[in-house]
Amino acid sequence: MRDGSLTSKQYAELASPADLMQREWAPCRYHCPVHADVRAYIEHAAAGRFGAAIDTIRDNLPFAAICGRICHHPCEANCRREDVDSALAIREVKRFVAELQGAKGSTVRKAAKQDKAKVAIIGAGPAGMAAALDLAKLGYRPTVFEKFPFAGGIPATAIPKYRLPREVIQIDIDWICAHGVELVTGVEIGKDKSIEQLKAEGFSAVLVAAGLAKSRMLPLPGADHPLVRPVLDFLQEISLTEKSAIGQDVLVIGGGNVAVDAARSALRLGAKRVRMMCLEAEAEMPAWEWERTEAREEGIDFINRRGPVEILVKSGKITGVKARKVTRVFDENKRFNPQYDDGDVTTVECDCVVMAIGQMADLGFARGSNVKADARGRVEFSPVTFQTSDPAVFACGEIVTPPGSAVEACASGQRAVKAIDLFLSGRAIRLSDELPPFIGKIAPAVGEKVRQVPRNKVATADAAGRKSSFEPVDFNYVEAAALCEARRCMGCGGGAEVLVDKCAGCLTCLRVCPFGIPKVADVATIDSALCQACGMCAAECPNNAIVSRSKPARDLATRTAAILKDKPGQVIAYICGQHASAEKWKAITEVPEVNEVYVTSTAGISVNDMLSALVNGASSLLVIACHEGADRYPNAVGRIRARVMQAKSLIQEAGLNGERIKLFELA
Amino acid sequence: MTEPHVETPATGPVSKLQAELDSGKFVFTGEIGPAKGTNVEKCLHEAEEYLKHTVTAVNVTDIQTAVMRTGSLSVSHMLTDRGIEPVYQMVTRDRNRLGLQSDLLSAYCLGVRNVLALTGDHVSMGDHPDAKPVYDLDSVGLLEAMSTLERGSDMGSDAKGNPNVLDGVPRFFKGCAVTPCTEEVEPQIIKLEKKVQAGAQFVQTQAVYDPEAFERFMEKIAHIKVPVLVGIVMLKNAGMARYMNSSVPGVFVPESIIQRLVKASKDDKQKVSIDICGELIQKMKHCCQGAHLMTLGWDHCVPAIIQAAGLA
Amino acid sequence: MIVAERKPLNEIVQSLAGRKRVLVLGCGGCVAVCCSGGEKQAELLGEQLKLAAQVACKAASGGEEAARGGTAAPGGKVEITVDCITRQCDREFFANMKHDLKDFDVVLSTACGVGVGYMTALYPEKVILPALNTTFYGANVAPGQWQEFCHGCGDCVLAWTGGVCPIARCSKSLINGACGGTNHGKCEVSKDMDCAWYLIYKRLKELGRLEDLRKMRPARQWSKDRGKGVRRLTHEELMQDTEVQK
Repeated sequence: MRDGSLTSKQYAELASPADLMQREWAPCRYHCPVHADVRAYIEHAAAGRFGAAIDTIRDNLPFAAICGRICHHPCEANCRREDVDSALAIREVKRFVAELQGAKGSTVRKAAKQDKAKVAIIGAGPAGMAAALDLAKLGYRPTVFEKFPFAGGIPATAIPKYRLPREVIQIDIDWICAHGVELVTGVEIGKDKSIEQLKAEGFSAVLVAAGLAKSRMLPLPGADHPLVRPVLDFLQEISLTEKSAIGQDVLVIGGGNVAVDAARSALRLGAKRVRMMCLEAEAEMPAWEWERTEAREEGIDFINRRGPVEILVKSGKITGVKARKVTRVFDENKRFNPQYDDGDVTTVECDCVVMAIGQMADLGFARGSNVKADARGRVEFSPVTFQTSDPAVFACGEIVTPPGSAVEACASGQRAVKAIDLFLSGRAIRLSDELPPFIGKIAPAVGEKVRQVPRNKVATADAAGRKSSFEPVDFNYVEAAALCEARRCMGCGGGAEVLVDKCAGCLTCLRVCPFGIPKVADVATIDSALCQACGMCAAECPNNAIVSRSKPARDLATRTAAILKDKPGQVIAYICGQHASAEKWKAITEVPEVNEVYVTSTAGISVNDMLSALVNGASSLLVIACHEGADRYPNAVGRIRARVMQAKSLIQEAGLNGERIKLFELA
Repeated sequence: MTEPHVETPATGPVSKLQAELDSGKFVFTGEIGPAKGTNVEKCLHEAEEYLKHTVTAVNVTDIQTAVMRTGSLSVSHMLTDRGIEPVYQMVTRDRNRLGLQSDLLSAYCLGVRNVLALTGDHVSMGDHPDAKPVYDLDSVGLLEAMSTLERGSDMGSDAKGNPNVLDGVPRFFKGCAVTPCTEEVEPQIIKLEKKVQAGAQFVQTQAVYDPEAFERFMEKIAHIKVPVLVGIVMLKNAGMARYMNSSVPGVFVPESIIQRLVKASKDDKQKVSIDICGELIQKMKHCCQGAHLMTLGWDHCVPAIIQAAGLA
Repeated sequence: MIVAERKPLNEIVQSLAGRKRVLVLGCGGCVAVCCSGGEKQAELLGEQLKLAAQVACKAASGGEEAARGGTAAPGGKVEITVDCITRQCDREFFANMKHDLKDFDVVLSTACGVGVGYMTALYPEKVILPALNTTFYGANVAPGQWQEFCHGCGDCVLAWTGGVCPIARCSKSLINGACGGTNHGKCEVSKDMDCAWYLIYKRLKELGRLEDLRKMRPARQWSKDRGKGVRRLTHEELMQDTEVQK
């Protein structure tokens, strides 16, 4: 629970009431490397506002489409719903939204003027493109140089198409470029052009985002055989030509995600048998669990705790890999420090080896520049200022960070832009690491009161069928499933906040809360880690002393007034988010033209909101609620029923027909 | 006209009712309700016709069930004019202690001696529900007030705290009510004890239809040495009996009685009702000192009831 | 706590007749706690008044709901503004109003009668109208339900009535026990209402203190209730010199 209280004065002084969301983040946002506002975009998606959803995603995450396919989704790993039933399928909702909207369906918010300095970016991967976008938005003129004929970096060149089709990558690239990012492909810095040349061409700063472009190899006997394939070469060749030299019996050495990609790709190229061999026991393997599961489903076996010693070659052909037993992988300090039992050596048969034990930087870009390498052959770099040994040359992404996923590379690129912006503005480079706190786990007593809704599964292609082609292995949600999944979001951190000076300690909140969360000592306190953000207390608080973090006070009235401003006399419908885009309710109303206003749950609609709609010119108000038991919050229907009754009698008292407010409860 | 001031001896019974109860005779009282309006002749006529020669005294209700009508004091006084002894019912609902004490003095001046102190049904039960309920005193307080007047002073005092002295002192035969057959009888008994302590000299009860319950009640108040007149209310039909069971506090009509009314033919109803009353009195007369007959307009039945009770 | 309930809108509208600039002023004290006159209810009343005014305008121009316009129209254009302060029974809180009283020709207070009366005393140049009927001193016996527990009679009897107040809770304010209207533990006035004397009897019996019920209770000193007009409380130790001198 957040420490400290909020007064009505502080609330009034907020630049935007939405700033309340900054008091505490949901863990999904906190743990997202780019801190995408997950709760907000999921809420848009839940209401069927997919355009707003994609724009909200892209506010932080330029690679929305790519991440919709391949993100390692720390948001989901930290989703508080896990303690209710199962985590929200955030990535799948994002995928649905991003691919539905495409590049054209995402709003481009260009800088008003793009007349600041020119900045060159080396590498059009996630880090480089994310940086280019942010530079463009700040008014800089970024140019991205990419040695491959297309942008995208590792996701485009090394991630197999069955996981990430090229057209999905293009959605993000097109959208980014629309912001005034110049993309120059087929130019390799350090070979076709040097950093110094770039400076001479007027680039005030250079950002190196070249990634880890080379495969790590092992100096084993026999490793020079042509069918001992460096993993990146292998995957890049497939990506470019859909072909690559391969044997019938493939052994992939390595236990990471790239190794899995290589193994599954080998299978798709026609290998009869594909096995993976790694130092780690299965549970220690760095590859994500779901990747391992899918690989196993496709018939790939794991040989765990074996380290290669020699690649056996007979008559010019690989016959196998001699491997010894691994006794440990990590030392007491959890550092990678393998030890072997040389007495236990076996031969693993194979006719082709893919070396997938890691990637390393290719420092070729630095040729003819002041950028230096350190003793271990890595770019000299300050993680504080993002500068290399040349102060005008910055670096970001995997070339300077530990290997990670696309979203982490984006985050690195974005931070580098902040450094570059300070540098080019002539200011000291100091970046803040401060983040709001995030709310903790949901208490079991509350969790069990939350209505359970099973996670919407994504359809997966049959393993037997999928392993012979590079067609995608899992499918997108259909709209209904995406909506249904998005509505599982509990809106963490968007709950109630008490304005302590207004609270009369009346206990109304405590009495209406279906989750039993408010406590009232002298004034009410509502634990944000427990609050389910249903809005019932805010709707009833007699002193308006409770505000919702995710919904500014009078939000509904304001939204409604905005609709009615241009067209008074319209019908307004307050619709439970559970029914977003469900056409069903329209059939029963027989009202031809209705302005739909979606709410998370009708539980949060106050009687004041209802009267306001009519005051602001609505000819009538429909409240479309879930039927008993279907609403995400207990007793929401009972509450809204009582409020509609009250509102009807109040408007009747004022001389209006009570039928101007109608409640529909839908299944 | 009666003389403005009837002299009453300083000791001994103040009324025929008191005298007859003192004598140990089984006493009957009747009851009339003044009209809504100035036509009081009808009730006076009925009292003369059916009650004058059959009962010892006639209660005059005081704005009964909070339905506004002519006052009980004037009608009580008119009864004395016709040689009928009234029991002046007085409720605390409508007057504060000034009005109550003043009316008591007036009553005495007008020759009224028997006073029954009651709390009175709440105004919300009657036809003026928006009236302000007074209840300055409760029934115990009203009895206290009478006793105080009899001692020659009133409830007030002068600036020094000395009681106000009356110029001319009244004497009353003071009565009260009780509900003997209520489901929780102890609080009724406690309150009856307080009423007697405050000066009550006789008791008229709420309607009783269950002689056994009444007898049990009488055993419980054996220590209270004041005469009790059991309340007998004529049941005009089964519907009325059922209504009393559901809505009249402390009244219970046994199903056997209801069935007799159900079975009675239309012409027989009154006869059956009279028989029921007579039988009830017969069953209870051994444990009480009289019966208070409430005929609710069927005053002409009073002689027949007394006959049926075997006490004519 | 003081409990109050909203007056019928019609009565409020009639009391506002002819006023153009209305400040609906909520009170964050007791009336907020009983959900009748806090900021939310003040706003709600404001919305209702605006609707009533709209209906009245339409009625004046023969609009669709003219026939329904049972609510007396304030007539013409009415400006409704809503504000709320912590309590209307303490002068200091009035300084916290977000609006200036000068800008209004009437204040419609959703405080209890105390607030309306006190504000009238503080701002004699203003017309302060009540939007609530102040009903009783009560407690929140169940969600959404308040019940009277005290009458403010000035002469507390709870010590010998087992904590059940016969002044507030007996419909006749009797002091010597139940009347004949007690009916299976309920009052003759309503089957929904407990007979206070039945409760007192039960409670005293439970406590083994029926002698408290047996004891004769003399007529009440109603002078402590309404008999002597306006009642006052003074704590001399808290008074300021000037007030003491007065």
